[in-house]
Amino acid sequence: MIPALRLDGVSFCYDTIPALADLSFAIAPGERVALLGRNGAGKSTVVRLVAGLARPDEGTVWVGDWDTRDCVPEQLAWRVGSVFQHADQQLFAATVRDDVSFGPRALGVGKREVERRTDRALEDLDLTAHAGHHPYDLSPALRKLAALAGALALEPALLVLDEPTIGLDRALRARVTRALLDRAAGSVALLVITHDLTFAAETLERGVVLDRGTLACDEPLAGLLGDATRLEPLGLVPPPVAALSAALDLPGRPVRAADAARELARVARGRPGP
Amino acid sequence: MRSLKLEEASFWYPATESPALRGVSLEVAQGEIVALVGALGAGASTLLLVAADLAPRVTGGRLAGSVARRDRSGIVLPTPWTQASGMAFTVWDEVAFGPANLGWPTHEIARQVDRALEQLELVPLAARDPTTLSGGELQRVIIAAILAMDPGLVLFDEPTAELDPDGARTLWRLIRLLAKQGKAILLATSALDALPDVADRVVWLEDGAVRAVGTPDLLADVTTCDSGLGTSVATVWRSSGLPGPYPLTVGHALQRWR
Repeated sequence: MIPALRLDGVSFCYDTIPALADLSFAIAPGERVALLGRNGAGKSTVVRLVAGLARPDEGTVWVGDWDTRDCVPEQLAWRVGSVFQHADQQLFAATVRDDVSFGPRALGVGKREVERRTDRALEDLDLTAHAGHHPYDLSPALRKLAALAGALALEPALLVLDEPTIGLDRALRARVTRALLDRAAGSVALLVITHDLTFAAETLERGVVLDRGTLACDEPLAGLLGDATRLEPLGLVPPPVAALSAALDLPGRPVRAADAARELARVARGRPGP
Repeated sequence: MRSLKLEEASFWYPATESPALRGVSLEVAQGEIVALVGALGAGASTLLLVAADLAPRVTGGRLAGSVARRDRSGIVLPTPWTQASGMAFTVWDEVAFGPANLGWPTHEIARQVDRALEQLELVPLAARDPTTLSGGELQRVIIAAILAMDPGLVLFDEPTAELDPDGARTLWRLIRLLAKQGKAILLATSALDALPDVADRVVWLEDGAVRAVGTPDLLADVTTCDSGLGTSVATVWRSSGLPGPYPLTVGHALQRWR
Protein backbone atom coordinates (compact mmCIF):
# COMPACT_ATOMS: atom_id res chain seq x y z
CA MET A 1 0.00 0.00 0.00
CA ILE A 2 1.26 3.51 -0.82
CA PRO A 3 1.69 5.55 2.37
CA ALA A 4 -0.52 8.63 2.74
CA LEU A 5 2.64 10.58 3.55
CA ARG A 6 6.31 9.76 3.27
CA LEU A 7 9.25 11.99 4.14
CA ASP A 8 12.42 10.67 2.61
CA GLY A 9 15.69 12.17 3.89
CA VAL A 10 14.19 15.65 4.20
CA SER A 11 16.35 18.62 5.20
CA PHE A 12 15.29 22.25 5.40
CA CYS A 13 16.90 25.53 6.50
CA TYR A 14 15.44 28.99 7.19
CA ASP A 15 18.22 31.04 5.56
CA THR A 16 21.14 29.68 7.50
CA ILE A 17 19.21 28.27 10.47
CA PRO A 18 18.72 24.51 10.03
CA ALA A 19 15.21 23.36 10.90
CA LEU A 20 15.12 19.74 9.71
CA ALA A 21 17.98 17.35 9.00
CA ASP A 22 17.63 14.09 7.08
CA LEU A 23 14.14 13.38 8.39
CA SER A 24 12.38 10.20 7.23
CA PHE A 25 9.08 8.67 8.29
CA ALA A 26 5.90 7.44 6.64
CA ILE A 27 2.22 7.35 7.60
CA ALA A 28 -0.19 4.69 6.33
CA PRO A 29 -3.83 5.45 5.45
CA GLY A 30 -5.94 5.51 8.62
CA GLU A 31 -2.90 5.84 10.87
CA ARG A 32 -3.07 8.41 13.70
CA VAL A 33 0.30 10.02 14.32
CA ALA A 34 1.34 12.62 16.90
CA LEU A 35 4.27 14.82 15.90
CA LEU A 36 5.89 15.74 19.21
CA GLY A 37 8.91 17.64 20.48
CA ARG A 38 10.05 20.86 22.07
CA ASN A 39 9.17 24.35 20.85
CA GLY A 40 11.45 24.95 17.89
CA ALA A 41 12.10 21.23 17.20
CA GLY A 42 10.91 21.63 13.60
CA LYS A 43 7.32 20.37 13.88
CA SER A 44 5.61 23.33 12.21
CA THR A 45 8.19 23.20 9.42
CA VAL A 46 7.02 19.67 8.63
CA VAL A 47 3.46 21.02 8.26
CA ARG A 48 4.65 23.74 5.90
CA LEU A 49 6.48 21.20 3.76
CA VAL A 50 3.54 18.78 3.64
CA ALA A 51 1.12 21.57 2.72
CA GLY A 52 3.45 22.66 -0.08
CA LEU A 53 4.17 26.08 1.44
CA ALA A 54 7.88 25.29 1.50
CA ARG A 55 10.09 22.95 -0.51
CA PRO A 56 12.69 20.70 1.08
CA ASP A 57 16.32 21.71 0.49
CA GLU A 58 17.13 18.02 0.25
CA GLY A 59 15.09 14.84 0.18
CA THR A 60 11.49 14.34 -0.90
CA VAL A 61 8.07 14.76 0.67
CA TRP A 62 5.64 12.30 -0.90
CA VAL A 63 1.90 12.79 -0.51
CA GLY A 64 0.56 9.48 -1.80
CA ASP A 65 2.43 9.10 -5.09
CA TRP A 66 2.90 12.84 -5.60
CA ASP A 67 6.28 14.46 -5.08
CA THR A 68 5.31 17.77 -3.42
CA ARG A 69 8.13 19.46 -5.30
CA ASP A 70 6.00 19.13 -8.44
CA CYS A 71 2.82 20.42 -6.76
CA VAL A 72 1.41 23.80 -5.86
CA PRO A 73 -0.59 24.08 -2.62
CA GLU A 74 -3.94 24.22 -4.50
CA GLN A 75 -3.14 20.86 -6.05
CA LEU A 76 -2.09 19.34 -2.76
CA ALA A 77 -5.43 20.38 -1.27
CA TRP A 78 -6.93 17.43 -3.17
CA ARG A 79 -5.06 15.14 -0.80
CA VAL A 80 -4.01 17.20 2.22
CA GLY A 81 -6.24 19.18 4.58
CA SER A 82 -4.11 21.34 6.83
CA VAL A 83 -4.99 23.53 9.78
CA PHE A 84 -2.28 25.86 10.95
CA GLN A 85 -1.64 27.17 14.42
CA HIS A 86 -3.97 30.09 15.21
CA ALA A 87 -6.23 29.06 12.35
CA ASP A 88 -9.10 30.76 14.18
CA GLN A 89 -7.73 34.02 12.79
CA GLN A 90 -7.75 32.84 9.20
CA LEU A 91 -11.48 32.64 8.60
CA PHE A 92 -12.70 35.13 6.03
CA ALA A 93 -16.22 34.34 4.77
CA ALA A 94 -19.41 36.01 5.97
CA THR A 95 -20.84 32.82 7.49
CA VAL A 96 -19.38 29.72 9.05
CA ARG A 97 -21.02 27.63 6.31
CA ASP A 98 -19.40 29.68 3.53
CA ASP A 99 -16.05 29.37 5.21
CA VAL A 100 -16.31 25.61 5.68
CA SER A 101 -17.54 25.07 2.12
CA PHE A 102 -14.78 27.21 0.58
CA GLY A 103 -12.36 24.29 0.26
CA PRO A 104 -14.61 21.86 -1.62
CA ARG A 105 -15.93 24.73 -3.79
CA ALA A 106 -12.39 25.70 -4.70
CA LEU A 107 -11.64 22.08 -5.59
CA GLY A 108 -14.51 22.32 -8.07
CA VAL A 109 -16.52 19.33 -6.85
CA GLY A 110 -20.23 19.44 -7.74
CA LYS A 111 -22.70 21.59 -5.84
CA ARG A 112 -24.46 18.67 -4.18
CA GLU A 113 -21.13 17.18 -3.12
CA VAL A 114 -20.07 20.53 -1.65
CA GLU A 115 -23.30 20.56 0.38
CA ARG A 116 -22.80 17.01 1.59
CA ARG A 117 -19.20 17.56 2.67
CA THR A 118 -20.00 20.85 4.37
CA ASP A 119 -22.97 19.41 6.27
CA ARG A 120 -20.95 16.43 7.40
CA ALA A 121 -18.00 18.52 8.59
CA LEU A 122 -20.28 20.91 10.49
CA GLU A 123 -22.14 17.99 12.07
CA ASP A 124 -18.96 16.17 13.04
CA LEU A 125 -17.89 19.14 15.14
CA ASP A 126 -21.39 20.08 16.39
CA LEU A 127 -21.27 23.37 14.51
CA THR A 128 -24.51 23.00 12.56
CA ALA A 129 -26.32 25.45 14.84
CA HIS A 130 -23.63 28.05 14.09
CA ALA A 131 -23.63 27.55 10.30
CA GLY A 132 -25.36 30.86 9.61
CA HIS A 133 -23.31 32.91 12.09
CA HIS A 134 -20.49 35.23 11.16
CA PRO A 135 -17.23 33.48 12.14
CA TYR A 136 -16.13 36.48 14.19
CA ASP A 137 -19.33 36.36 16.23
CA LEU A 138 -18.15 33.00 17.54
CA SER A 139 -15.75 32.56 20.44
CA PRO A 140 -12.11 31.95 19.40
CA ALA A 141 -12.52 28.31 20.45
CA LEU A 142 -15.48 27.72 18.13
CA ARG A 143 -13.67 29.60 15.35
CA LYS A 144 -10.88 27.12 15.77
CA LEU A 145 -13.36 24.27 15.32
CA ALA A 146 -14.74 26.04 12.24
CA ALA A 147 -11.24 26.13 10.74
CA LEU A 148 -10.91 22.41 11.44
CA ALA A 149 -14.31 21.81 9.82
CA GLY A 150 -12.96 23.55 6.72
CA ALA A 151 -10.15 21.01 6.51
CA LEU A 152 -12.54 18.09 7.13
CA ALA A 153 -14.78 19.35 4.32
CA LEU A 154 -11.95 18.81 1.84
CA GLU A 155 -12.29 15.11 2.68
CA PRO A 156 -8.56 14.65 2.13
CA ALA A 157 -6.58 11.44 2.43
CA LEU A 158 -4.31 13.15 4.94
CA LEU A 159 -5.13 15.68 7.67
CA VAL A 160 -2.27 17.74 9.04
CA LEU A 161 -3.14 19.73 12.14
CA ASP A 162 -0.90 22.10 14.08
CA GLU A 163 -1.93 22.36 17.75
CA PRO A 164 -5.66 21.77 17.24
CA THR A 165 -6.55 21.94 20.95
CA ILE A 166 -4.98 25.22 22.11
CA GLY A 167 -7.70 27.30 23.74
CA LEU A 168 -10.24 24.46 23.85
CA ASP A 169 -11.74 23.19 27.08
CA ARG A 170 -12.16 19.50 27.87
CA ALA A 171 -15.59 19.24 26.24
CA LEU A 172 -14.42 20.77 22.94
CA ARG A 173 -11.23 18.70 22.95
CA ALA A 174 -13.43 15.61 23.23
CA ARG A 175 -15.40 16.83 20.20
CA VAL A 176 -12.19 17.10 18.18
CA THR A 177 -11.12 13.62 19.32
CA ARG A 178 -14.44 12.12 18.25
CA ALA A 179 -14.35 13.80 14.82
CA LEU A 180 -10.75 12.74 14.15
CA LEU A 181 -11.28 9.13 15.26
CA ASP A 182 -14.27 9.00 12.94
CA ARG A 183 -12.26 10.24 9.97
CA ALA A 184 -9.36 7.91 10.71
CA ALA A 185 -11.79 4.98 10.82
CA GLY A 186 -12.58 5.97 7.22
CA SER A 187 -8.87 5.56 6.29
CA VAL A 188 -7.88 9.21 6.61
CA ALA A 189 -4.30 9.49 7.86
CA LEU A 190 -3.69 11.97 10.69
CA LEU A 191 -0.52 13.92 11.44
CA VAL A 192 -1.13 16.08 14.50
CA ILE A 193 1.34 18.43 16.12
CA THR A 194 0.47 18.81 19.76
CA HIS A 195 1.93 19.68 23.14
CA ASP A 196 -1.25 18.36 24.69
CA LEU A 197 -0.22 14.81 25.50
CA THR A 198 -3.55 14.06 27.17
CA PHE A 199 -5.25 14.82 23.86
CA ALA A 200 -2.61 12.80 22.01
CA ALA A 201 -3.23 9.81 24.29
CA GLU A 202 -6.98 9.96 23.69
CA THR A 203 -6.82 10.50 19.93
CA LEU A 204 -3.62 9.22 18.40
CA GLU A 205 -1.72 5.94 18.36
CA ARG A 206 1.85 6.57 17.28
CA GLY A 207 4.37 9.18 18.36
CA VAL A 208 7.01 10.66 16.07
CA VAL A 209 9.27 12.81 18.23
CA LEU A 210 11.57 15.45 16.78
CA ASP A 211 14.60 16.79 18.59
CA ARG A 212 16.39 19.73 16.99
CA GLY A 213 15.18 18.83 13.53
CA THR A 214 16.00 15.13 13.64
CA LEU A 215 13.94 12.04 14.39
CA ALA A 216 14.44 11.18 18.05
CA CYS A 217 11.91 8.39 18.32
CA ASP A 218 9.03 6.78 16.44
CA GLU A 219 6.87 4.27 18.31
CA PRO A 220 3.42 3.53 19.74
CA LEU A 221 2.22 6.21 22.18
CA ALA A 222 0.90 3.56 24.55
CA GLY A 223 4.40 2.57 25.66
CA LEU A 224 6.07 5.93 25.22
CA LEU A 225 3.73 8.20 27.18
CA GLY A 226 4.17 6.40 30.50
CA ASP A 227 7.95 6.33 30.27
CA ALA A 228 9.14 9.42 32.13
CA THR A 229 12.83 8.54 31.78
CA ARG A 230 12.66 8.46 28.00
CA LEU A 231 10.34 11.47 27.66
CA GLU A 232 12.38 13.76 29.90
CA PRO A 233 15.34 14.37 27.55
CA LEU A 234 12.88 15.07 24.73
CA GLY A 235 11.25 17.88 26.71
CA LEU A 236 8.11 15.82 27.31
CA VAL A 237 6.33 14.85 30.52
CA PRO A 238 4.00 11.84 30.92
CA PRO A 239 0.37 12.98 30.86
CA PRO A 240 -1.43 12.33 34.19
CA VAL A 241 -3.40 9.27 33.09
CA ALA A 242 -0.28 7.55 31.75
CA ALA A 243 1.58 8.53 34.93
CA LEU A 244 -1.28 7.13 37.03
CA SER A 245 -1.26 3.82 35.16
CA ALA A 246 2.50 3.55 35.58
CA ALA A 247 2.44 4.51 39.27
CA LEU A 248 -0.31 1.99 40.09
CA ASP A 249 1.13 -0.54 37.64
CA LEU A 250 -2.27 -1.01 36.00
CA PRO A 251 -2.35 -3.96 33.58
CA GLY A 252 -1.43 -2.87 30.07
CA ARG A 253 -0.44 0.59 31.38
CA PRO A 254 -3.40 2.30 29.66
CA VAL A 255 -2.92 5.91 28.56
CA ARG A 256 -6.55 6.73 27.72
CA ALA A 257 -8.83 7.85 30.55
CA ALA A 258 -11.63 5.37 29.82
CA ASP A 259 -9.22 2.43 29.63
CA ALA A 260 -7.47 3.50 32.84
CA ALA A 261 -10.80 3.82 34.68
CA ARG A 262 -11.82 0.35 33.51
CA GLU A 263 -8.53 -1.24 34.57
CA LEU A 264 -8.61 0.62 37.86
CA ALA A 265 -12.11 -0.71 38.60
CA ARG A 266 -11.14 -4.22 37.59
CA VAL A 267 -7.98 -4.32 39.68
CA ALA A 268 -9.82 -2.75 42.63
CA ARG A 269 -12.44 -5.49 42.49
CA GLY A 270 -9.59 -7.97 42.80
CA ARG A 271 -10.61 -9.91 39.73
CA PRO A 272 -8.02 -9.46 37.02
CA GLY A 273 -9.54 -10.01 33.61
CA PRO A 274 -8.50 -12.58 31.04
CA MET B 1 -1.38 42.65 52.03
CA ARG B 2 -4.23 42.80 49.57
CA SER B 3 -3.27 43.52 45.96
CA LEU B 4 -6.62 43.27 44.20
CA LYS B 5 -10.16 43.42 45.48
CA LEU B 6 -13.33 43.07 43.42
CA GLU B 7 -16.65 43.70 45.10
CA GLU B 8 -19.86 42.65 43.38
CA ALA B 9 -18.23 43.32 40.02
CA SER B 10 -20.45 42.90 36.97
CA PHE B 11 -19.40 43.67 33.43
CA TRP B 12 -21.23 44.06 30.15
CA TYR B 13 -19.40 44.10 26.81
CA PRO B 14 -20.58 46.82 24.39
CA ALA B 15 -23.95 46.14 22.78
CA THR B 16 -24.71 43.08 24.91
CA GLU B 17 -27.58 42.70 27.31
CA SER B 18 -26.46 39.83 29.48
CA PRO B 19 -23.40 40.47 31.63
CA ALA B 20 -20.14 38.57 31.07
CA LEU B 21 -19.46 38.88 34.82
CA ARG B 22 -22.18 38.76 37.44
CA GLY B 23 -21.55 40.08 40.93
CA VAL B 24 -18.04 38.68 41.34
CA SER B 25 -16.32 39.36 44.66
CA LEU B 26 -12.70 38.27 44.90
CA GLU B 27 -9.49 39.23 46.67
CA VAL B 28 -5.93 38.37 45.75
CA ALA B 29 -3.21 38.97 48.33
CA GLN B 30 0.47 39.60 47.72
CA GLY B 31 2.27 36.28 47.55
CA GLU B 32 -0.92 34.44 46.65
CA ILE B 33 -1.77 32.46 43.51
CA VAL B 34 -5.44 32.35 42.63
CA ALA B 35 -6.55 30.24 39.65
CA LEU B 36 -9.76 30.80 37.72
CA VAL B 37 -11.28 27.68 36.20
CA GLY B 38 -14.47 27.12 34.27
CA ALA B 39 -15.91 26.09 30.93
CA LEU B 40 -15.18 28.32 27.95
CA GLY B 41 -17.22 31.50 28.16
CA ALA B 42 -17.55 31.29 31.95
CA GLY B 43 -15.95 34.72 32.35
CA ALA B 44 -12.34 34.00 33.36
CA SER B 45 -10.75 36.07 30.58
CA THR B 46 -13.19 38.91 31.19
CA LEU B 47 -12.37 38.89 34.89
CA LEU B 48 -8.67 39.21 34.04
CA LEU B 49 -9.37 42.13 31.68
CA VAL B 50 -11.32 43.85 34.44
CA ALA B 51 -8.53 43.19 36.94
CA ALA B 52 -5.99 44.61 34.45
CA ASP B 53 -8.08 47.76 34.02
CA LEU B 54 -8.47 46.97 30.32
CA ALA B 55 -12.22 46.41 30.65
CA PRO B 56 -14.05 48.67 30.19
CA ARG B 57 -11.22 51.21 29.64
CA VAL B 58 -10.05 49.60 26.36
CA THR B 59 -12.83 47.15 25.51
CA GLY B 60 -15.69 49.57 26.09
CA GLY B 61 -18.79 48.29 27.83
CA ARG B 62 -19.96 48.90 31.38
CA LEU B 63 -18.69 47.90 34.81
CA ALA B 64 -20.77 47.85 37.98
CA GLY B 65 -19.47 47.21 41.48
CA SER B 66 -15.97 48.13 42.55
CA VAL B 67 -12.43 47.12 41.63
CA ALA B 68 -9.55 48.23 43.84
CA ARG B 69 -5.91 47.67 42.86
CA ARG B 70 -3.00 48.41 45.10
CA ASP B 71 -0.23 47.55 42.65
CA ARG B 72 0.62 48.17 39.04
CA SER B 73 -0.63 45.14 37.10
CA GLY B 74 0.71 43.32 34.07
CA ILE B 75 -1.34 40.94 31.96
CA VAL B 76 -0.15 38.09 29.74
CA LEU B 77 -2.81 37.43 27.09
CA PRO B 78 -3.38 34.03 25.45
CA THR B 79 -2.40 35.58 22.12
CA PRO B 80 1.25 36.56 22.63
CA TRP B 81 1.72 37.83 19.08
CA THR B 82 -0.82 40.58 19.78
CA GLN B 83 1.34 41.79 22.65
CA ALA B 84 4.60 42.19 20.75
CA SER B 85 5.47 45.84 20.20
CA GLY B 86 6.35 45.21 16.56
CA MET B 87 9.00 47.88 16.99
CA ALA B 88 11.93 45.81 18.23
CA PHE B 89 14.58 44.09 16.12
CA THR B 90 15.85 41.92 18.96
CA VAL B 91 14.31 40.00 21.83
CA TRP B 92 16.28 42.20 24.26
CA ASP B 93 14.72 45.37 22.80
CA GLU B 94 11.27 43.81 22.83
CA VAL B 95 11.55 43.07 26.54
CA ALA B 96 12.96 46.57 27.17
CA PHE B 97 10.03 48.26 25.40
CA GLY B 98 7.72 48.24 28.44
CA PRO B 99 10.25 49.41 31.05
CA ALA B 100 11.46 52.12 28.64
CA ASN B 101 7.90 53.40 28.35
CA LEU B 102 7.71 53.63 32.12
CA GLY B 103 10.49 56.22 31.86
CA TRP B 104 12.97 54.31 33.99
CA PRO B 105 16.68 55.15 33.96
CA THR B 106 18.74 53.13 31.47
CA HIS B 107 20.61 51.06 34.05
CA GLU B 108 17.33 50.06 35.74
CA ILE B 109 15.83 49.06 32.39
CA ALA B 110 18.89 46.93 31.65
CA ARG B 111 18.79 45.31 35.09
CA GLN B 112 15.11 44.39 34.79
CA VAL B 113 15.45 43.15 31.20
CA ASP B 114 18.46 40.96 32.01
CA ARG B 115 16.69 39.51 35.02
CA ALA B 116 13.49 38.77 33.09
CA LEU B 117 15.42 37.13 30.22
CA GLU B 118 17.20 34.94 32.71
CA GLN B 119 13.98 33.98 34.51
CA LEU B 120 12.41 32.86 31.24
CA GLU B 121 15.59 31.12 30.03
CA LEU B 122 15.75 33.49 27.07
CA VAL B 123 19.36 34.68 27.34
CA PRO B 124 20.46 32.57 24.31
CA LEU B 125 17.71 34.22 22.23
CA ALA B 126 18.42 37.82 23.34
CA ALA B 127 19.81 38.89 19.95
CA ARG B 128 17.19 37.09 17.82
CA ASP B 129 14.61 38.94 15.73
CA PRO B 130 11.26 38.39 17.53
CA THR B 131 9.52 37.73 14.20
CA THR B 132 11.62 34.56 13.71
CA LEU B 133 10.58 32.93 17.00
CA SER B 134 8.32 29.91 17.44
CA GLY B 135 4.98 30.35 19.22
CA GLY B 136 6.34 29.03 22.50
CA GLU B 137 9.46 31.18 22.34
CA LEU B 138 7.38 34.28 21.67
CA GLN B 139 5.09 33.46 24.57
CA ARG B 140 8.11 33.39 26.89
CA VAL B 141 9.35 36.70 25.45
CA ILE B 142 6.01 38.36 26.18
CA ILE B 143 5.99 37.00 29.72
CA ALA B 144 9.53 38.38 30.17
CA ALA B 145 8.40 41.73 28.78
CA ILE B 146 5.58 41.91 31.33
CA LEU B 147 7.80 40.84 34.24
CA ALA B 148 10.46 43.38 33.24
CA MET B 149 7.97 46.11 34.21
CA ASP B 150 8.00 44.63 37.71
CA PRO B 151 4.23 44.52 38.22
CA GLY B 152 2.96 43.78 41.73
CA LEU B 153 -0.09 42.00 40.35
CA VAL B 154 0.53 39.59 37.48
CA LEU B 155 -2.43 38.34 35.46
CA PHE B 156 -2.01 35.30 33.21
CA ASP B 157 -4.59 34.11 30.68
CA GLU B 158 -3.74 30.55 29.59
CA PRO B 159 -0.02 31.17 30.04
CA THR B 160 1.07 27.67 28.98
CA ALA B 161 -1.09 27.42 25.84
CA GLU B 162 1.83 27.75 23.43
CA LEU B 163 4.45 26.02 25.56
CA ASP B 164 5.81 22.49 25.29
CA PRO B 165 5.37 20.33 28.42
CA ASP B 166 8.87 21.13 29.64
CA GLY B 167 8.36 24.85 29.03
CA ALA B 168 5.02 24.68 30.83
CA ARG B 169 6.61 23.03 33.86
CA THR B 170 9.30 25.70 33.95
CA LEU B 171 6.69 28.46 33.75
CA TRP B 172 4.63 27.00 36.60
CA ARG B 173 7.78 26.90 38.72
CA LEU B 174 8.47 30.52 37.85
CA ILE B 175 4.93 31.54 38.81
CA ARG B 176 5.43 29.90 42.22
CA LEU B 177 8.72 31.78 42.56
CA LEU B 178 7.07 35.11 41.66
CA ALA B 179 4.48 34.53 44.39
CA LYS B 180 7.24 33.71 46.84
CA GLN B 181 8.83 37.04 45.96
CA GLY B 182 5.58 38.71 47.00
CA LYS B 183 3.75 39.19 43.72
CA ALA B 184 0.01 38.63 43.61
CA ILE B 185 -0.94 36.21 40.84
CA LEU B 186 -4.35 35.77 39.24
CA LEU B 187 -4.49 33.30 36.38
CA ALA B 188 -6.97 31.53 34.14
CA THR B 189 -6.04 28.11 32.84
CA SER B 190 -7.47 24.96 31.35
CA ALA B 191 -4.32 23.10 32.43
CA LEU B 192 -6.17 21.77 35.47
CA ASP B 193 -3.61 19.09 36.22
CA ALA B 194 -0.96 21.72 36.97
CA LEU B 195 -3.02 23.50 39.62
CA PRO B 196 -2.58 21.21 42.66
CA ASP B 197 1.13 22.11 42.66
CA VAL B 198 0.63 25.76 41.76
CA ALA B 199 -2.53 27.39 43.08
CA ASP B 200 -3.27 28.46 46.63
CA ARG B 201 -6.92 28.97 45.80
CA VAL B 202 -9.17 27.89 42.95
CA VAL B 203 -12.18 29.94 41.87
CA TRP B 204 -14.75 28.09 39.76
CA LEU B 205 -16.61 30.45 37.45
CA GLU B 206 -19.85 29.51 35.77
CA ASP B 207 -21.89 31.83 33.57
CA GLY B 208 -19.92 34.85 34.75
CA ALA B 209 -20.51 34.18 38.46
CA VAL B 210 -18.45 32.49 41.16
CA ARG B 211 -19.83 28.99 41.65
CA ALA B 212 -17.30 27.78 44.23
CA VAL B 213 -14.02 28.80 45.84
CA GLY B 214 -11.62 26.48 47.58
CA THR B 215 -8.18 24.93 47.74
CA PRO B 216 -7.12 22.88 44.71
CA ASP B 217 -8.96 19.97 46.39
CA LEU B 218 -12.00 21.52 44.74
CA LEU B 219 -10.71 19.90 41.49
CA ALA B 220 -11.32 16.43 42.96
CA ASP B 221 -14.90 17.18 43.92
CA VAL B 222 -17.81 15.19 42.41
CA THR B 223 -19.37 18.33 40.96
CA THR B 224 -16.17 19.63 39.35
CA CYS B 225 -15.38 16.17 37.95
CA ASP B 226 -18.87 15.93 36.46
CA SER B 227 -18.51 19.43 34.98
CA GLY B 228 -15.27 18.51 33.17
CA LEU B 229 -13.18 20.50 35.65
CA GLY B 230 -11.70 17.72 37.76
CA THR B 231 -8.03 16.83 37.45
CA SER B 232 -7.36 13.88 35.13
CA VAL B 233 -6.62 11.59 38.08
CA ALA B 234 -9.77 12.57 39.99
CA THR B 235 -11.84 12.15 36.82
CA VAL B 236 -10.45 8.66 36.11
CA TRP B 237 -11.10 7.69 39.74
CA ARG B 238 -14.67 8.91 39.53
CA SER B 239 -15.32 7.10 36.22
CA SER B 240 -13.90 3.87 37.68
CA GLY B 241 -16.74 3.81 40.20
CA LEU B 242 -14.36 3.71 43.17
CA PRO B 243 -15.67 5.58 46.20
CA GLY B 244 -14.65 9.17 47.00
CA PRO B 245 -13.01 11.33 48.10
CA TYR B 246 -11.12 11.17 44.83
CA PRO B 247 -7.34 11.61 44.67
CA LEU B 248 -6.25 14.90 43.13
CA THR B 249 -2.88 13.85 41.77
CA VAL B 250 -0.88 10.73 40.93
CA GLY B 251 0.87 11.10 44.29
CA HIS B 252 -2.44 11.12 46.16
CA ALA B 253 -3.66 8.14 44.12
CA LEU B 254 -0.57 6.17 45.03
CA GLN B 255 -1.12 6.85 48.75
CA ARG B 256 -4.76 5.83 48.45
CA TRP B 257 -3.85 2.70 46.53
CA ARG B 258 -1.48 1.53 49.25
